[in-house]
Amino acid sequence: MPAGDRDPQPSAGSGTSASTVRYESVSKQYPGSEGFAVHDLSLEVPAGEICVLVGPSGCGKTTAMRMVNRTVEMTSGDILIGERSVKEGDPARLRREIGYVIQQIGLFPHRTIAENIGTVPALMGWDKERISDRVSTLLELIGLDPEFADRYPGQISGGQQQRVGVARALAVDPPVMLMDEPFGAIDPINRSRLQNEFLRLQAEIRKTVLFVTHDVDEAIKMGDRIAVMKKGGELAQYASPTELLMAPADDFVEDFVGADRALKRLALIQIKNVNLWKAPVARAGDPTRPVRDALNSAEVPYAVMVDEEDRPLGWLSARDIEGDTVPEHPGSAAEPVLDGEVSLRDGLATLLASGPQYAAVVDGRGRLDGVLSVEIISDFLSSDQAAHESIPAVERVGG
Amino acid sequence: MADLFPLAEVSEDFFRDRSGGGCIEDNRLFCPGWVVENADRYVDPTLQHVVLVVSAVVAGFLIAFSLAVLAHRHHWLSSPFLAATGVLYTIPSISFFFLLLPITGRGAVTAIIALTAFTLQIIFRNMTTGLRNVPDEVTDAARGIGLTRKQLLWQVEIPLAMPEIIAGLRIATVSTVALATLAVFANGGGLGTEIVVGSNITFKTGIIVAGSIAVLMAILFDALLLLAGKLLTPWTRTVR
Repeated sequence: MPAGDRDPQPSAGSGTSASTVRYESVSKQYPGSEGFAVHDLSLEVPAGEICVLVGPSGCGKTTAMRMVNRTVEMTSGDILIGERSVKEGDPARLRREIGYVIQQIGLFPHRTIAENIGTVPALMGWDKERISDRVSTLLELIGLDPEFADRYPGQISGGQQQRVGVARALAVDPPVMLMDEPFGAIDPINRSRLQNEFLRLQAEIRKTVLFVTHDVDEAIKMGDRIAVMKKGGELAQYASPTELLMAPADDFVEDFVGADRALKRLALIQIKNVNLWKAPVARAGDPTRPVRDALNSAEVPYAVMVDEEDRPLGWLSARDIEGDTVPEHPGSAAEPVLDGEVSLRDGLATLLASGPQYAAVVDGRGRLDGVLSVEIISDFLSSDQAAHESIPAVERVGG
Repeated sequence: MADLFPLAEVSEDFFRDRSGGGCIEDNRLFCPGWVVENADRYVDPTLQHVVLVVSAVVAGFLIAFSLAVLAHRHHWLSSPFLAATGVLYTIPSISFFFLLLPITGRGAVTAIIALTAFTLQIIFRNMTTGLRNVPDEVTDAARGIGLTRKQLLWQVEIPLAMPEIIAGLRIATVSTVALATLAVFANGGGLGTEIVVGSNITFKTGIIVAGSIAVLMAILFDALLLLAGKLLTPWTRTVR
């Protein structure tokens, strides 16, 4: 096997191979144009984090990203992956060690899914068996049935194609991934699913990811760090999502982030991390007196009926428990039920969409954790907690 | 008499009746009896015709393919190549034969050169279109994941241009089958021999037979290329 020493060991879930990416005063000026596409950009993306480059069109975010794999050559400055300058050596070899995902996906229509995913391993001279093992691993990783391996890209859906695009980029377990508006061409429902899927995947693979988007909401959702860029290729602010929302560096960032930045903060917090209300709990056949007493002093005007394993079954109003024992069936079904891992933003959306002002919140095993209300969310927004609480992107995955 | 027997046999064949049971005299448009009796005389011209067509298309393909690859790499070459092959395409083949006579003399080579020159434009045009139609995102992704220019060309661009390349070959081949009947004027053989020799204002059967063989040959080549195209582009059959 040629160049065996250059092959990173494929390890889908080991999370060991990631490198920092450091921009050092990087500028790009296209010939014949006055201004800069990217001007004096310096920033460091720590290994294993997602850095989102965001800004209006023409701000140089894609150019900035493309200079990492030299599909655009920088005019001055340097970019280091780990300790190595990208300028060293042959661009094609460099690119094989950097995952690359683009909006239009760009799968090879004449090659099967397996061949598409195996492209870079084949370029690096892996033997057939190793390639096919790797392809199976990756298909499993992106949740695609092995029967898809022999199909052509034209035979699968856009969402599946995008997953295959990600798998192709991960084929030789590169330490760095570049993603240029990877979900931009996908419809909103599938986009959200793919975003969550990618964050779950990232929790496993822990790559250093440079992610380009023009969508602030996507930046906030996906980024551990966000680099906001403005016209002329200037870096306006480089900060965590919370910091960006709480303390925009200037008017441009404040404007770009949007007037609803308070609401956007909700996307950064999981429901389980706020103080949920405790509702009285009742099981079928229990005496009703203690429940009635609890209901009088509770924040919620309903009791939650749960099963043997504390899973919510439905709501009980004061009238439902006028008898001596708790009835067999709840007064109304436990709709909606929210997963505590979901963001407050998604929780609020569910509450507003479903009618009731309360929702039961459950933990990972479906057991009742508390009750979420619109009031809790508005209290949260006016509290200090919002300014400090923040969780890494990969843990922010929600329904 | 015994020593005369072999001679008698030869002369018997030589002098056998090839008149088609009198339909030459009847002067019908088509004379099946004559065809049966004269089938042997079409074997050599048909084989010569195949050689003319295959040589011209293969040579034309190799040249046009190289030109298209060059023009794809260096875009400024595209216009001059298109102009040059365009001129070769428009020169009437018969004039081409006479222009070539002082250089290559009379014979199949002259005919093949002229026919090759004719195919270049068709194959070149189709192939450059095919290469141009490769989606930008596919070349961007290919470059971005580390294919060299050469790998991009051979592993991505040419395979994806294959439907257009095959389409060009089909047009070029079918036209060459027809055009190769003119090779007779360069003394290049082929089915044209039978058409010219068989030319007779009153008796058409010979011309009809030679023409029909050419048409069948064109259909056969076309079907073969169609099949080759299907085998070379399995992904096109299954696209949504």
